[in-house]
Parts: sequence; structure tokens; C-alpha cells
Amino acid sequence: MSNRTLLEIKNLVTEFHTEAGRVKAVNDVSITLNKGETIGIVGESGSGKSVTSLSVMRLIPNPPGKITGGEILFHSKNGVIDLVQSTKKEMRNYRGNEIAMIFQEPMTSLNPVYSCGDQVAEAIMLHQKINKREAKNLTIKLFEQVELPRPGAIYDSYPHQISGGQKQRVMIAMAMSCNPSILIADEPTTALDVTVQKTILELMLKLQQEQDMGIMFITHDLGVIAELADKVVVMYKGKIVEQGNVMDIFTNPQHPYTKGLLACRPPLNRRLQWLPTVSDFMTIDDNGVMHETNKSVAEVTNSLVVTPAETAKKHETLYQQEPILEIKNLKTHFPINSGLFGKAKEFVKAVDGVSFEVYPGETLGLVGESGCGKTTLGRTILKLIEPTKGEIIFEGKDLTDLSSKEMRAYRKEMQIIFQDPYSSLNPRITIGEAIMEPMRVHKVFNNDDERKARVMELLKRVSLLEEHFYRYPHEFSGGQRQRICIARSLALNPKFIICDESVSALDVSVQAQVLNLLNELKEEFKFTYIFISHDLSVVKFMSDRMIVMQEGKVVELGLADEIYANPETAYTKELIDAIPKGEINDIRASIAKKKDNLELA
Amino acid sequence: MFQFILKRILYGFLVLAGVVTVVFLLFNVLPGDPARQLMGQRADEESIRIIQKDLGLDQPLSKQFVMYINDLAPISVHDKDPDHYLYLDAEKYDYSELFSYGASSVVVYKAPYLRRSYQTKRKVSEIIKDYMLETAVLALASIIIAALLGVLFGVISALRKDTWIDRALLFISILGMSVPSFFSAILISYFFGYVITDITGLNMTGTLFEFDNLGDNELLRLDNLILPALTLGVRPISAIMQLTRSSMLDVMSQDYIRTARAKGLKFKTVVIKHALKNALNPVVTAISGMFASLLAGALFVESIFGWKGIGWVLFDALTKFDMPIIMGGVLLTATIFVFINILVDITYGILDPRVRVK
Repeated sequence: MSNRTLLEIKNLVTEFHTEAGRVKAVNDVSITLNKGETIGIVGESGSGKSVTSLSVMRLIPNPPGKITGGEILFHSKNGVIDLVQSTKKEMRNYRGNEIAMIFQEPMTSLNPVYSCGDQVAEAIMLHQKINKREAKNLTIKLFEQVELPRPGAIYDSYPHQISGGQKQRVMIAMAMSCNPSILIADEPTTALDVTVQKTILELMLKLQQEQDMGIMFITHDLGVIAELADKVVVMYKGKIVEQGNVMDIFTNPQHPYTKGLLACRPPLNRRLQWLPTVSDFMTIDDNGVMHETNKSVAEVTNSLVVTPAETAKKHETLYQQEPILEIKNLKTHFPINSGLFGKAKEFVKAVDGVSFEVYPGETLGLVGESGCGKTTLGRTILKLIEPTKGEIIFEGKDLTDLSSKEMRAYRKEMQIIFQDPYSSLNPRITIGEAIMEPMRVHKVFNNDDERKARVMELLKRVSLLEEHFYRYPHEFSGGQRQRICIARSLALNPKFIICDESVSALDVSVQAQVLNLLNELKEEFKFTYIFISHDLSVVKFMSDRMIVMQEGKVVELGLADEIYANPETAYTKELIDAIPKGEINDIRASIAKKKDNLELA
Repeated sequence: MFQFILKRILYGFLVLAGVVTVVFLLFNVLPGDPARQLMGQRADEESIRIIQKDLGLDQPLSKQFVMYINDLAPISVHDKDPDHYLYLDAEKYDYSELFSYGASSVVVYKAPYLRRSYQTKRKVSEIIKDYMLETAVLALASIIIAALLGVLFGVISALRKDTWIDRALLFISILGMSVPSFFSAILISYFFGYVITDITGLNMTGTLFEFDNLGDNELLRLDNLILPALTLGVRPISAIMQLTRSSMLDVMSQDYIRTARAKGLKFKTVVIKHALKNALNPVVTAISGMFASLLAGALFVESIFGWKGIGWVLFDALTKFDMPIIMGGVLLTATIFVFINILVDITYGILDPRVRVK
């Protein structure tokens, strides 16, 4: 233990009371954090990484949760304190003052009824005992520091008036407001666009070096922290399975789970048949015993590579066909400013003159930042939103001419899988009913018995069990729910499926499984996909061709590999640069850079 | 903001126009001759005819409707010719002339004319004016009691979820919701005003202003307010409590509450400043609806406690089929609802910046 030690978590155990009995969400976890150091805590949802951080803040919801063992030693200016034993009043004094936290969801982490500035100033006034005017000046200075545009105006803005990235900057300003010695960041960039993520990560790194803070960075994606973290802790089912410095973890992972996490990120420099998953490295038998497969990351990925020649051959046959879908000069405008009698004066041009074709059996990727109109485009193609202008020609028939009754026949052919598997399933309808409903509507099969048999088949096809037919959505994890949504869209035997950010809400490890499933199904049922995502790496992995969208317009359209290799517009370049790649050379460079900065200081 | 309010007021007028039409049609299809009711069974044909002319009953329904609308409108068109069906009768209207046109037509500005009671021959608008104060005082008192206690109990219940306090409060609130007001009125009046009247010093019945024993001075009797206000508050308290409870439970699990706690704020500050302001939106809607219906008069409770308010008048009018008063009461209720709804929309804007119009 050196005098730079900030926080020592020793043998921490945090338990939750559930219907199934007591569950150890965090089981015997020990982590040491030093000044000026960043520790990345990595794991999938439910691995206990967030619970660990909330335990440090003593913000575990009680009941049902409780810290039942271990100690959390905080080396404060006034000596070493065990946070587990601290009183509520002492804890309040540390929270926001010595130990600050940034949360995953900037959208919901700010109180909607108070202005951004007030919420930051509140923390300052609380801990620094200064008056409102000084607090306001300090807040505006902080807003400048976190590089918010027009700090004065943002001070008076309400959270709904600013963007997600700006909200996260406000959260960071709030966390930094009292110069904390420890900053806990719980998936601070997961809900943000890659380009925004990049700037936020750079900002955190800069602030850390200025203030010699210790950062605990929690994430499900190893790539995100590659260039940020000094040490990495990998958690699995409440336990630490591996920890070490970032270089060792990336070059020589020991635990099969770590290998799985490293391998399951869609690679950018080559094309794979499918993505390796954790199960390529380890299997768990019925008794819960883990078996390693003893393969290295490189072995597994190398066996899956598709050569450019193979890809070219596939594309040759693909693009000789007649297109299944043609979009011609499609426009979707939304009225914003309506006058006294509801007549629109101004419009948001969400989709503004888009044209492209989709060929049978192809996956067309659609990538762009949030607000670029990609989701609106997807929904307009299905006429879930009425287009303002343009043609949507599906198998030679212009869908814009059809009445909603005629359109219904085509709905069977075209399906959509939504982003959020949590809210796109009705919580009061069983899984089986949810999948069966579209079949009933479109009178597929003669009776419910036949339909039920089909649902059972579909459930098995997406790796769920027949007995899940009678269960309700809340009993499933995010990945399982997305499988249910996939099964539901398969129920009608569609030809054409739009995947709208279908894996964005999932952990990388689960994302890989769902992407693989989508690809298998495509081969099996000869689907055509439009795959929409803000994540260029995922889109590149999935698609044959891709479209880059910006402000409702197509800025680039071409073969995915070519666009990635030779981006023509600055916007595409920016998107590609912002992807956290987690490559060894980048990590090495960032470590060297950090060292330089330290020596300079 | 101004445009927003203007829009709401325009919508309000549309709603009122709808109500007026429906009320007019409903009461015209009901059986019974108003002239007969006004004059009694032994009236002679001649006076019946005069009354019918006065009420416009000799006119076709369309003209009657025009008359009715014209009577209600604050700015209306009339004729100085006594035979004209829109005759500007000084007996009916309390007006000031704006301008005249044509031979004998005038446009006037006036208070809405709601016709006269069949029973007392008094103008309905005067009757409403006389009794409105008592009802307003009662409604205000009970809604304040209900809002304060309801929100307080709701917050306590939410913060102590699944403890005995929560269960007890929930049980009582369900009880409060399920007891009809005429029953609780009798119970409360009997118990507090009779059984333990020596301790409470309250009467079973009584009104806001009473004459002293000599009948000379009118006295303000606020103590008479306590029991009816409490009775009327029983249901709102229960409803507000349950709403606040569920709303608070929802808000307390939000991410921004965690943020507030991570700042190191006191739990009390987190609850009152960060949670309650968010939780109050649905409660405000509920309170406004309840307040509006209380303002329209509580028929049973006012009758049982002998509280001389709109409810009491309406109860009386209903039993005697006094159409103008009933119609006036319905219009009053509708107006109050429309008005309160506009107020609520403005309150929303104050509570929640997200609904504020840019």
C-alpha cells in the first residue's frame, strides 16, 4: 500500500433478498484504486459491477439489498475511513463531495423540473457552503471546463432542451463540482453516439489528469476502456475472474470469459462468418461447472475469416438480381410550429430526398448519429409513418399509393424488430400469445393449435424453450427478449425485415449472439435485411452495402468494406475514427502518452 | 404563453356552447308545461298565455334556442319592440347599451340572464350569486384539508412502503373511498354534532352566516364549516393519498432521485425538492377535478348539514322540478369545470417545464 492509495475494497459482499432467496450480487470482491488511476470494471449485466460501485456510494436500495461483508476503506484527507461502517450523515458528506458518480442514462439522470444549472449549483452550495451567486459563477465555469457550448444559456436550460451528450456533460460537471478524489462512472457513454462517446471519454481523461482523480469506470464493453484504463477488472456472476493491467488483459487474457469479451466485438479490419461468443471459450454444464475450451482469441477469430474474394463472389450473384425494394426520392417531414388553428408553419425534415435499392438476400446497413433520420426512414418504408413525398416500390408495387387496408396484405411481407426489447413487448401478454397474435391477424394457419405448433418451432429456432410459451416478458433477460421479438417477426414468414437498432440495448457479449442468430436466420429463410444502427462496427459486420445518413440525407452509399477502407466524406471518417477499437497499438500509444503527461507534470 | 391561454379559452367556449345546446335540448324534450308549473294548477288561460309569451314558449324551437343563447351571451342583440321575440326587457336584463342599428335593434352588454325560478320568481343568477359564497367556502375548506392531508399521508405511505403504517393508511383510504358521502355525512354529523357535542361544541347542522338569538345581527359561524368540510374531504383525502403514494413510488425509483442522493443531499431534501415536485402532476389533475365538482355544490352533504349553498338550492330545485335553477346549476358546473381546467393547464406549465410552451 502506497501513499497514493485512494480506495481499498476488501472482500466486499453485497446481498439481495429476492423471491428465490438471498443472492450474492457481489461476492468477495477486492479492488484497490490509486490516485490518478483509472480502473475499468468490465462484465455483462448482472455481473455485479454496478452493485459494486453503488456499494461504495452506499446507495444500494435497501430493502432488498445490503452490504453483508467486507470493508471499503477510503483514504481521505483526514485518515482512513471504512465506508461500510460510516453513519448516514458521514456518508452524505462524502457523496458528491469526495466521491462523485456519473450514471448510465443521462436522459433520465437529471431531474426534469429543475434547470441544469440549478442542479449543479445545488451540489456546490451543499458542500462548499457558498451563496447562490458564487455557486452560479462556479457552475458556469465548470460548464466551460466540460466544453459545453453557451454555458450561460445551458445554466437556465431544462434537461429536455439539450442533447444526450450535453446532458452527460452536465452530469460530469455536477460530479466534478466539488473536486472529488474518486469518480465512479457507471456506463457513462453506453447510451450515447460513438462520436459523442469519444469526446466524453477524452474529456474524462483530461479532467482526471488535471485533478489527479481516481476513476472507477464501469462498462460492458472492453473496447471502450482500452485507451482509458490503467487496470482492468473482469467480473462474472458477482466475482472477479481476472484483474490486471490493461496491456496484459488485452494481449494475454487468462480467463475464458475475458477471452470471450475480447473476441465478441465486431472486428473492423476483416470480415467474419460469425462473431465468436463467450461459449466458444467456455461452456457451463447442468451442474453449473465451467469447462474451458482452451482456445486463444486469435485461434477462434482466424478460423472464421471470410476472404475478400469470397465476399466479391457473393456480391456478384447478389447484385445481378432485380431489386426487391426501391426507394425513390423519399421525404418525411414533421410539422413543428403549428399556429392558432393547427396549421403547420415549420417542418423538421427527418428524411429529405432519399433514394436507394435493396436486393433480395442482401443486408443493407443504415448508419448515422441519433437524429439523422435513420429510424424515421425505417418506419416510413413500412408506412408506420406516412411519407410526405416519394415512392416506396416493393416487388414492383408502389406502397405510397396503397390505402391502409391494402397495405395490410404487405405488412405480412415486411417486419420490423425494434430497439428496446424491454418496452416493445406488452408486459401483460404471455410470450406465446405475443408471437401468435400477428398470425391470427393475418389468418396464417387455420386454427390456434396449428399456430401454437408453429410458435413452439420458432421458440426453439431462436434458442428459447417450449415452456417459455406461457411466461411473461419480465421473466426474461434483455437478450432473451430480443430473441422473442425476432421470433415474433418471423411468425409471418416475411421476406423483408428492418432491424432498427435491434442490438443497441444489449451487452456486447449478448449482442454477438443476437447478431449471429440474425445471420443464421437470414441464410435459412432467405431474408432481406435493412440493418439500422448508430454503431458503425456492427453495421459493417452485418451488411453487404451500407448507407451513411446525416440530417435526413444519404451522404455515402456503397459496399460496406469499401466505405470503411476509403471513406469519402469527412462525416464518415469521423464516425469511423470514433469507434473504440481496442487495438493493441492504440493502447500502447495511450499508455505512452499518459506517461509523458505524468513526467511533464 | 399568451397564445396558449387564448387557445384554451377558445376551446373552453366551444365546450360551453356544446353544453348549452345539449342542456337546452334535454330540457325541451322533458314533459311538463313550464307555464303551468309557474302559475300552478288553477291559473286562467290568459295568464298562462302571457307567461308562455314571456318565456318564448309560443315560438318554434329554433327561435327559442336563439332566445336562450341570446339570454346567456354577455354581448347580445335585442329589439325595442315589445312584440319582438328578442324584446329588450328591463325586467330581465341588467344591461348597458353598446350601439343600436336599424329601426329598433340594439346590441347590449349584459350579465347572462338565466331566467327566473318557477318557485320564488327570483332571477336564477341572483340565487346563484347568493348561495355561491357558502359553497365556495365549503369547497375550498375541504379541498385544502384533503390536499394537505392526502399528500402528506401519500408521501408517508410511499416512503414507508410495506410497513404497518403503509398498510394502515391504505386500509383507511380504501374505507374512505367506499363510504358514500350521504352516509358519512350522517355518521359524522351524528357523532361529532350530537354524541360528543359537549366536547366538540359543534352543531349537527348550521350554515356560514346565522342570525343571533334576537335576529338582529348576522354572525359568521366558521365552526359550522368544520363537519361538512371534513365529510366532503373524506373521499378526496383517500383518492389523493393513493394517487400521491403510487406517483411517489414511481418517482422515487427514477434515476434522477439516485443522482440527487449521490450529490449527498439530505433525504428530506431529496423527497421534498426532487421527488414531490415531480410526483404532484397527476395529483394536481385529480385535485382540480374534485375541486370543480365540490364547487358545483355537494347536494347530499349540504342538505344533511343544512349548509345553505348551491347544492342545497339544487337539491330543493330538483325535488320541485324547478327547471331554470337546474339548468342554471348545470351551466354553472360546466363553466367551473372549463375554468378550472384552464387553470390546471397553466399550473402544469409552472410545475413541469416540459409542458411549457416555447
